[in-house]
Amino acid sequence: MRKRYRYVALELASPLVAIAFAVLVGAVVIAAIGKNPVQVYRIMFTFAFRRLDSVGIMLFGATPLIFSGLAVAISFRAGLFNIGVEGQYLIGTFLAALAGFALKGLPSFVHLPLVIVVAALGGALWSLLPIYLKVRRGVHEVISTIMLNYIAFSLIHYLIADVFMDKQQGLMPGVGNPLIRLPKIAASALMPRMHGFLALLGVDLPRHVYLNWFFPLGLLLAVAVHYLIWRTAFGYELRAVGHNPAAAEAAGIDPAAVQIRAFLLSGLIAGVTGLSDLLSYFGYMDLDFPKGYGFTGIAVALMGKNSPLGIVLAALLFGFLNRGAEGVQTFAGVPMDTVVILQGVMILSIVVASAVMGRYIRRQERKEALGASW
Amino acid sequence: MVSELLASAIRMGLPVLLAALGAVYSERSGVVNIGLEGMMITGSFWGAVGAYYAGPLAGMALAVAASVLMALVHAVVSVTFRVDQIVSGVALNILAYGAARFSSIALFQKATMSPHVQGFTPISVPGLDQVPWLKPLVTNLSPLVVVGFLLVPLSYWVIEKTVFGLRLRAVGENPLAADTLGLKVFHLRYAGVLLSGVLAGLAGAYLSVEHTGMYVEGMTQGKGYIALAAMIFGNWSPVGAMGAALLFGFAESLSFRVVESAVVPYQFIKMIPYALTLVVLAGVLKRTRPPAADGIPYEREEA
Repeated sequence: MRKRYRYVALELASPLVAIAFAVLVGAVVIAAIGKNPVQVYRIMFTFAFRRLDSVGIMLFGATPLIFSGLAVAISFRAGLFNIGVEGQYLIGTFLAALAGFALKGLPSFVHLPLVIVVAALGGALWSLLPIYLKVRRGVHEVISTIMLNYIAFSLIHYLIADVFMDKQQGLMPGVGNPLIRLPKIAASALMPRMHGFLALLGVDLPRHVYLNWFFPLGLLLAVAVHYLIWRTAFGYELRAVGHNPAAAEAAGIDPAAVQIRAFLLSGLIAGVTGLSDLLSYFGYMDLDFPKGYGFTGIAVALMGKNSPLGIVLAALLFGFLNRGAEGVQTFAGVPMDTVVILQGVMILSIVVASAVMGRYIRRQERKEALGASW
Repeated sequence: MVSELLASAIRMGLPVLLAALGAVYSERSGVVNIGLEGMMITGSFWGAVGAYYAGPLAGMALAVAASVLMALVHAVVSVTFRVDQIVSGVALNILAYGAARFSSIALFQKATMSPHVQGFTPISVPGLDQVPWLKPLVTNLSPLVVVGFLLVPLSYWVIEKTVFGLRLRAVGENPLAADTLGLKVFHLRYAGVLLSGVLAGLAGAYLSVEHTGMYVEGMTQGKGYIALAAMIFGNWSPVGAMGAALLFGFAESLSFRVVESAVVPYQFIKMIPYALTLVVLAGVLKRTRPPAADGIPYEREEA
């Protein structure tokens, strides 16, 4: 029994080893451009944790990553690799923005949930083709989803710039250039920020922090996904298919049906990824709407080992990295993109560490099993 | 006109061709290389760096070196540590993106572009350049175009006719049998992955040094993934990959002409290569045959 705990500790150790290794590589990179790594890391920590606004901004930054990370993880669990979260959330965000400005006069308790549902359906819509191609035509979902990401970028560009662009931005004639953006979303569809609630708890969040109710919603979703994976029949089928499709089929599970449902569910969650930014920060969608949450979501899912709790922690870690990077860029002159290098190294080292530890544990277990039979 | 369109298809298709040839080496040895895109990004950046400081040849050398380093990471992670090859490739792409931005800031003070760089002196095929209708095809060529198309028969010969090629295919089809016969499975897979790094690096360097004359962030535009699709469309063979790469080049060069005519919104024109990839894969995949052990890490029995 003591041994079991040791194995669990070893499993948990691999993310920590990965983080440590990434910190080391980051230190080498920082030293290579002539900065002092220790000092840079210290600035990163104090900037991120000594300021209340930084903490709020970290949570705000983690919010979309919780959604995209969960979306990627669900596909992973079913043995699929949804790299299309990127395109799926852009389509979802666009449709949500459309429903946000086109529908008027709805009460907030109808409009806001409706917009969220529209975003989710948009994400699922964009995941239909890849899973169809996968199941029926044998096209690997990695390539098809990447192609659909590029198609989504162009399509959104067209729809924003050429079809739905807001022509009445209230500029004086001849003054300034209008932004290439959609009309503003009705107030009834905007997601309130958490300031009022936090003030009740005695936390006075500064105004320039956009932490909103999508963060607790993301946490709730993580709980729901955990329940789905570990406590429902569908979750069991999902894990069975992801683990060994042939064995699952032999046990009477239809792998294709499970993969279709899992992928669409992944698309549904992916669709909501951009809403925290759309409905709390921007209030409209333009050509520069944040990109990359889908790819970072892959990193988050791998870091969190596809477990919802792990994903929340990894999303918070990445929120911290991004906020800390803003600090070191401003105060230490180290480019923010160091963080992307850190993320890449972290993913590589965590998958290696997990593989090595997993094998070590299996070998130990086999030895013990042999020992017990003697 | 036709030969001009073909010449432009060759110029557009060359990076896809080079990367697809790389993918052939890697996949015939049994390793899927989604990281081609990242290796091309790396190649395009370091190619521009080398060309900026020391001329186009140095650009090629630096691009290949940097890209091979990325390939080495992919090989260590996916062959030695047997991590899922897709996961490793995707992580590599994220790393390459960040590393290129970071290095660009460090060297050029700009994350997204390099200064203008000088490419190779264009060459013409002597003799043929006197034939009028061949002229666009054989004059004003990047030497890399010539190299790229010479690499097609060379790769065919290496893979199909040499001992090395036979062994490479053996570990891609049945690594256990190859291992039993005393072949070094890991060494051969390393060779396949590293060769794909060489070619993807060249592909990236061609984009920045020869095609555009500078490095621009995102200039690969998914060509690494398209190259994978081209290799699949070409049924894992160098000659097939060439045909597919030319098809993609053709689609891209055609799209430029449609943009000039301004009938269809250019955003839809930009989708053509990606939509074509989807259509091609959906249409042909059932009829292709990947190497039997493609994508499966080889694991020796553990004592």
